[in-house]
Amino acid sequence: MLPLGCSRRLVAELQDALDTCAERQRQLEQSLRVSRRLLRAWEPAETPTPEPTPGPETNEEAPSPACTPSPQDLKELELLTQALQKAVHVRKGISKAGERDNASSLKSGSIATSATTAAAPHRASQTKLPRGTRQATRPAKGLPKPRLLSAGDQTCAGRGPLAAKPGPGLRDPQKAPSAAPQAPEAFTLKEKGTLLQLPMAFRKAASQNSCLWAQLSSTQTSDSMDATTSSKTQFLQKMQVTSGWPSSRLSAAEVEAEVGRLQKACSLLRLRMEEELTRDPTDWMQEYRGLLTLEGLQAIVGQCLHRLRELQAEVVEQQLGPWPEERPPMASLPCGGGADPTWSPQLLLYSSTQELQTLAALRLRVDMLDQQIHLEKVLMAELLPLVSMQEPLGAPQLALCRAVHSLLCEGGQRFLTILRDEPAD
Amino acid sequence: MGRRRHLADAAGALPEAIAALSRSLPAGPSPEIFRRAKFDRPEAAPALWRLLFRVLSLLRADRASASRAPEAQARWVKAALRAQGYPRLGLARLPEDGSQGSRELLLALAWLLAREPLPERLLAQTRVRLGDEMPVCECGALASPGQPAPRVDTAGPVDVRRLQWLMGKLRFRWRNLMASQQEQCALLGKIHAYTRGCHGDRSLGHLSVAETELLRDPEGGRQLLQRLESENARLEAALEWRRRELVFWQWMDTVLGACPPEASQPTFPPRLRGRGRRAGAWGPVAWELQALQEELQAAVGARRAAWAARVGGQGPEWSAARQAAQEAVGRELAALRQAWARGGGRAQPHRPHRLVRTEAGGPGGPGLRAAEVIGVLRSREACLEEMLCQLQEQCRQQLARLAGALPGLIWIPPPRR
Repeated sequence: MLPLGCSRRLVAELQDALDTCAERQRQLEQSLRVSRRLLRAWEPAETPTPEPTPGPETNEEAPSPACTPSPQDLKELELLTQALQKAVHVRKGISKAGERDNASSLKSGSIATSATTAAAPHRASQTKLPRGTRQATRPAKGLPKPRLLSAGDQTCAGRGPLAAKPGPGLRDPQKAPSAAPQAPEAFTLKEKGTLLQLPMAFRKAASQNSCLWAQLSSTQTSDSMDATTSSKTQFLQKMQVTSGWPSSRLSAAEVEAEVGRLQKACSLLRLRMEEELTRDPTDWMQEYRGLLTLEGLQAIVGQCLHRLRELQAEVVEQQLGPWPEERPPMASLPCGGGADPTWSPQLLLYSSTQELQTLAALRLRVDMLDQQIHLEKVLMAELLPLVSMQEPLGAPQLALCRAVHSLLCEGGQRFLTILRDEPAD
Repeated sequence: MGRRRHLADAAGALPEAIAALSRSLPAGPSPEIFRRAKFDRPEAAPALWRLLFRVLSLLRADRASASRAPEAQARWVKAALRAQGYPRLGLARLPEDGSQGSRELLLALAWLLAREPLPERLLAQTRVRLGDEMPVCECGALASPGQPAPRVDTAGPVDVRRLQWLMGKLRFRWRNLMASQQEQCALLGKIHAYTRGCHGDRSLGHLSVAETELLRDPEGGRQLLQRLESENARLEAALEWRRRELVFWQWMDTVLGACPPEASQPTFPPRLRGRGRRAGAWGPVAWELQALQEELQAAVGARRAAWAARVGGQGPEWSAARQAAQEAVGRELAALRQAWARGGGRAQPHRPHRLVRTEAGGPGGPGLRAAEVIGVLRSREACLEEMLCQLQEQCRQQLARLAGALPGLIWIPPPRR
């Protein structure tokens, strides 16, 4: 058995590592669920369709139909559409909206679609259609519903109760419900993904969002607010002066940051030392420089150790005063871009799935190596002293040696063998 | 007349500034609360406690503390502020039931605001992410620096086999992660390819998972839109705050002036029990530095001896050359020190990048190329593998030394891969 303190610390470290992995796995699984669902056939309820763009807004032709029905169907639908147009004309009279509506409905009418899938829809969605002022303008704010529904509405209007009411009426929920259910062709991203279009409201909000962020980050950097900055600094100083706590003390956050720096220093110094030791000096000058470098490194390491001890003493001293004992665990800085508020959207371009997979795999490998190295150091710090301390050659001690060797030197994957070399009697 | 108008303007500008601040923060209280806090009215305290708690827990990304009772929240706020170095003792002396101390809390909030751009940072953390993002920075996402959270459930001492078991479990989880990650990338690649040409923004070209999801699921899409819109509102408020904040600082000066200065803190006898608690965090660093020092000592000793044996010919050009060598080495070491001093890795891109699929060999717009990142990652991987190997070799040598000291045993290492 390992000593108590050592056990606790090691188990805590390993458990922490396990928890971090579990959390990451959980997030991955969530994304996987979403992605898998997107790649399956979407429920007919959610069939999106191309958005026949409203005339005044853009001049883009509506994208090609979601699915290509048979020529027969096409003809039928065209006839139907023409009939509808006439009806609409008669009903609506000549109004701008009406015209536009017809124009766009014409376009959409010519987009023959499996009217049934369009028909199947949701009245609910219909009612939620354009809350906007212009009835002519297509899809609702935030309602990424099948645009084609409206087209379908018009084409199907013949089937259901003739809801050939003017303009909005055409999109009236009352419609064409269950017309002949042809086998609804389910929407899959693979076949029809290129026909999708984001809703207008969303696009507006997204572009406003990036615009605002850009403005915000430019005000950060412009720093034309010297008056503000100086009044802030003054305020901080005044606060320090009027407070009872001496300002020379370091805060816990600063201490942790410095310990982190010392850790980094240690690895860099070690790297440099290894480099120097493996170098073969060719002449005396190089040899001398090597010697000086090593001595310099030694001095720096001494200084680092000294600083570490100073920090330790400082922290111990700070454990006093009226502040509460509870110390919130220092969460590692969330690196999700939170550290840097000046945001301009940065892109990472990849050209093939293979490349993306390589990239992600490397990232994961680097993270895993980081974690492994951290664990290795912790295990070394705790286990090596244990093994070197005790003398007796009893079996439990040897078993411990063997286990420690495997953990530290082979990543816990392979074991060495210890044989007792007894002279034959 | 001018002065009165100026005052009137100022009087109007302040509530607006505070209102903008409030709108840009999560859980922001009304300007009336701020005004009452200046006069230390007790009813303003709970709102300010809540605000501080919300802000600090967001800053520290500490989700665990969300569900605490108000008293526990107040204690947590005090500890968190102290950890950041908050100077005033008045805060520490406040009762935790939220019955008083609003002026002190107001000062604490102003202190946080003065040190860093708080609204922007909070917004950046809770930012609505529309693209599929991949972090590019070098922070280890899996390695946790510092002490792990203390666990209450550990029983007594454990056997080393439990450690082996935990390590095995960890390896298994890594393998799972790798497999899931590969699958996710394959799916992402497909989704990006299938939605080519759908995005309004030409530089992006295709939809991300979030955007496709919003098309599939209108309800989710509505929620996303709502979040976007509320973020836009907060962004606008933050911009307005930036324009108007000077008048707030002038006002805070008066608030600070209204407080009596604190008596400087009497020295307390050092409490011994603090010492043991911190020792754990320093263990690895101190241990490493000491190990390094010993190795350096040995190396230097050997080289010095070798050098002393070699040196001859002490001509004048020798001392000049020696001087030059010393200066060169001094400079090199100074540059090395810079590497871990305050500069560090801040300049590197620290934010996640949005993934965009482009045609191979295409011109491509602004943005980081995956090939570059892969190159950087490969070299980093090689570096880390090297480091791990060295550590393992160190252990091997040390254990071999031990083995050497124990006669009568044969140690057969496992075959190298």
